[in-house]
Amino acid sequence: MRKSDILIIGNGISGLFAACIAADMGKKVQILSYGAGTLTIGGGIIDVLGYTDDGKPIENPVLGADKMASGHPYSKVGAQTVDKALRAFLKIAESEGFPYIGSPDKNQWVPTAIGNFKPSCLVPRTMNSQAIFDAENILVVGFDTMKDFYANMVTKNLRKHLKSDKNIEEFVVQLNFEYGRDLRDISAMDVARWLETKEGYNAFVNQVKAHIKNSTAIVLPPVLGLDPNYQILDSLEKDLGCKLVEVSSLPPAVTGTRLDKMLNSYAKKHGVQIIEKARVVGSEVADGKCQAVITEGFDRQRKFYADQFILATGGVYGGGLIAGIGSMVEPVFNINIDVPKVQTEWSYKHLFADKKQIFAQYGVNVDNDLTPVAADGSKIASNVKVVGRSLAGYDFCYEKSGNGVALITAYKAAAAFCGEA
Amino acid sequence: MLKTTVVVIGGGATGVGILRDLSMRGVDTILVERDDLGYWTSSRFHGLLHSGGRYAVKDKEAAKECIEENTILRRIGRHCVEATESIFVRAPEDSEEYEHEWVKSCAECGISAIPISMDEAFKLEPNLSRKLLSAYRCPGAAIDGFRLLWQTVASANKYGGKAMTYMEVTGIETENGEVVGVRIRDRWTGREDKIACDFVISAAGSFSGEVAKLAGLTVNVKPSKGTLIAFNHRICNRVIHRLHKSSDADIFVPHGSITILGTTSIDSAPDDTSTETAEVVEMMKVGEVTFENIYDYRILRVFAGTRPLYSADPNAKGRSASRGFVALDHAHEGVKHFFSVCGGKFTTYRLMAEKVCNMVCEQLGVNEKCHTAEENLVDDPSPELINRAKAVFPSYGAELASSRLGNDKLERVIERIEKQPEMKELVCECENVTRAEIEEIAGEPTSHTVSDVRRRTRLGMGTCQGTFCAYRSVGAIDKEDVPWSKDTVNLCKDFLETRWKGIRPVLWGNMLRDIELTRAIYDAALNLSGVEDIK
Repeated sequence: MRKSDILIIGNGISGLFAACIAADMGKKVQILSYGAGTLTIGGGIIDVLGYTDDGKPIENPVLGADKMASGHPYSKVGAQTVDKALRAFLKIAESEGFPYIGSPDKNQWVPTAIGNFKPSCLVPRTMNSQAIFDAENILVVGFDTMKDFYANMVTKNLRKHLKSDKNIEEFVVQLNFEYGRDLRDISAMDVARWLETKEGYNAFVNQVKAHIKNSTAIVLPPVLGLDPNYQILDSLEKDLGCKLVEVSSLPPAVTGTRLDKMLNSYAKKHGVQIIEKARVVGSEVADGKCQAVITEGFDRQRKFYADQFILATGGVYGGGLIAGIGSMVEPVFNINIDVPKVQTEWSYKHLFADKKQIFAQYGVNVDNDLTPVAADGSKIASNVKVVGRSLAGYDFCYEKSGNGVALITAYKAAAAFCGEA
Repeated sequence: MLKTTVVVIGGGATGVGILRDLSMRGVDTILVERDDLGYWTSSRFHGLLHSGGRYAVKDKEAAKECIEENTILRRIGRHCVEATESIFVRAPEDSEEYEHEWVKSCAECGISAIPISMDEAFKLEPNLSRKLLSAYRCPGAAIDGFRLLWQTVASANKYGGKAMTYMEVTGIETENGEVVGVRIRDRWTGREDKIACDFVISAAGSFSGEVAKLAGLTVNVKPSKGTLIAFNHRICNRVIHRLHKSSDADIFVPHGSITILGTTSIDSAPDDTSTETAEVVEMMKVGEVTFENIYDYRILRVFAGTRPLYSADPNAKGRSASRGFVALDHAHEGVKHFFSVCGGKFTTYRLMAEKVCNMVCEQLGVNEKCHTAEENLVDDPSPELINRAKAVFPSYGAELASSRLGNDKLERVIERIEKQPEMKELVCECENVTRAEIEEIAGEPTSHTVSDVRRRTRLGMGTCQGTFCAYRSVGAIDKEDVPWSKDTVNLCKDFLETRWKGIRPVLWGNMLRDIELTRAIYDAALNLSGVEDIK
């Protein structure tokens, strides 16, 4: 069996990005992948740090990261890594022909599917909200029969959030999909696929065109194609003579799918081997080092050997952590997470607690090099690093830091394994 | 000022039963409810239509009432009842002597209890623990509390009866020791008003003591809290009882695609609907005796309600207090024409209403007899209407929608979809609720929150617990442009918080996974809680 330099468990955003970085530095990298991952469920935008611990909006995420309390992943990796990692991401996106906009030291306000705004840092050009703030006219475009986007609600809420001199109207594009009326529901994925066809594209332009005035920005669900490029966006902006802005939205995430495709493409081009349907069920640790991880398929177990390992299996949602009654465990290295015995102590009374939820911060404890440590501070395996949602100490929902922590810790782990500080 | 003959206070099962009964006898009646219909005890239970078997040994009178009312409700409320039947099972730790006594008692009470072999029992209910020793089939059933209440009111409406929700009673007015009216306050508008009346019947359940206080009286209700667990599986197709002396966590009731396990009994405040992890863990341990794989089933949520146990003795507690009911004529304490009815069971709600109404009618000089057992709550839909429904609803949704809506609303919903076919979009996939239904119900004057719509449609009661349908229903309601839809962000948040309340004590396994997804959508992607600082 081929032994890799670095074996990565998990092909979500943190696993893929770690693979890209390590492959760039000349390492032989394998990814063990199981299931579709949560990247295609979440949005494809890079939230780095939107709010302080007491809920104040942060303008500069790098500066904000520098002030995080110890225990937070950012405080472990340092603000310099935040900056470096995000710039590395921007470079990869650029080289894949799908450049992201934004800068590590500045947040931007992105519109959402309910018609308000959220802070994010790096976003694809399809979500450049500057157009909304600049335009005099805003046209909220929905699609009849498409689920999970209500132009009426977005319009109403945008009117509350934006200056009153803006003219905000809604318009609903008729899809006339046969299957939408009888056979199944239509998601943003279907509409994105439709806009990739000539008929769909033309139908969209023909219906919308009459409603475009001077200085108009269109706000719409994420439907501008399924692939990581800007062909549909650029053509539409040219043909309609206005800007288009996609909103941050519900699953299934078209924007997340594009990011997933982009990172996969880059990783494969740079020699990363992705092994699918490899469910990792355990590991072999000897002399303080991980020797191999064990996968289980339909009929047998297999071992995968490597010099170094990156655990990027995600949190509770992704299956990287498993919560029981009064217990939580990381199943690959069998790490017990210290949690209260009584479940009601895991959370605050309100789900939207106006502070970080307690359970959201449960995860694997690591040292400043992202090596997992036991309760007594001893290293669980010195050649293992933990990245992304499995980590303890942050609440990506409250802070708006999800993909940011994933990218930044992945970068740190990969660079460290490649001999960079 | 409004005027009527009788005011009923409390929109639980007993109250709506009285409203229907009096209205059918031609007595002008208005029901006032402080919250939504069925907000409290009448929905916070197993949803069990008792066969009477549970009470056969201890309380033969209650058992007989149960089996009689069970038979009546299966007929008049058939759109609310899933006639599953029930199985009583005895575990090794349960007394064999009790089993013999129980068989004898069931025969005495007229409750059919057919012994079956364990092989037969396992064939009927494959998930039952193989350690169980004996089994009997009884005529228990599942019943939908919300639906029964709304359909009872719909029936009363036909006879002129009126129910007002979110209407708080702030005072009971008397003149010369006789009731002359009640003062009310609309909790949404704050508007105060008065209903002049000749009689007041308090059917306030666990809150009976508080209502009595408004007239300067005392009623000894001992609220006793029961916690219930809803599992996201149809673990059994029949109601499963443990065949032993009634105890905690010994009843499983299947409802549609879920199963409810109950319950516990703890003295509590009337409005205490909190649940604790420790209670759930204890209930799971007991439940494991009946279904040994209980830990493999995903929990949807936990909830609690308070039984309004009545006791003449103010020191009686919990299950030892009477499960029967009393109707108190407060004339003996100096207030004429004021009655309190409390205690009792959901299964016997109609009978309780009948007895109270007999007392009131006698004083009113009304000779009309009770007809509530003779007439169905709602008419069956006509074959034409069902055919129209089948043409517009997805898959098995036609039957579901027809049962929960009743004919008039069903027809209006069908018309919406016939006019605009895209209105058949499923807003709530778990419970098969269409957008047309959400819009129809949201537009009703009795709807003020997404939770009100939920109680009438089952929106958000299934697997996702609002994760997807909170956004969708709020978007649909916004489109309907009802007066309460202005703040869509908070409508979403409030709805998710009500769902969260039931998940918080059981935040493990897939429940925590689901909450992670909920937060990823509503907090991370839609930023419902963060402040904005748009430049």
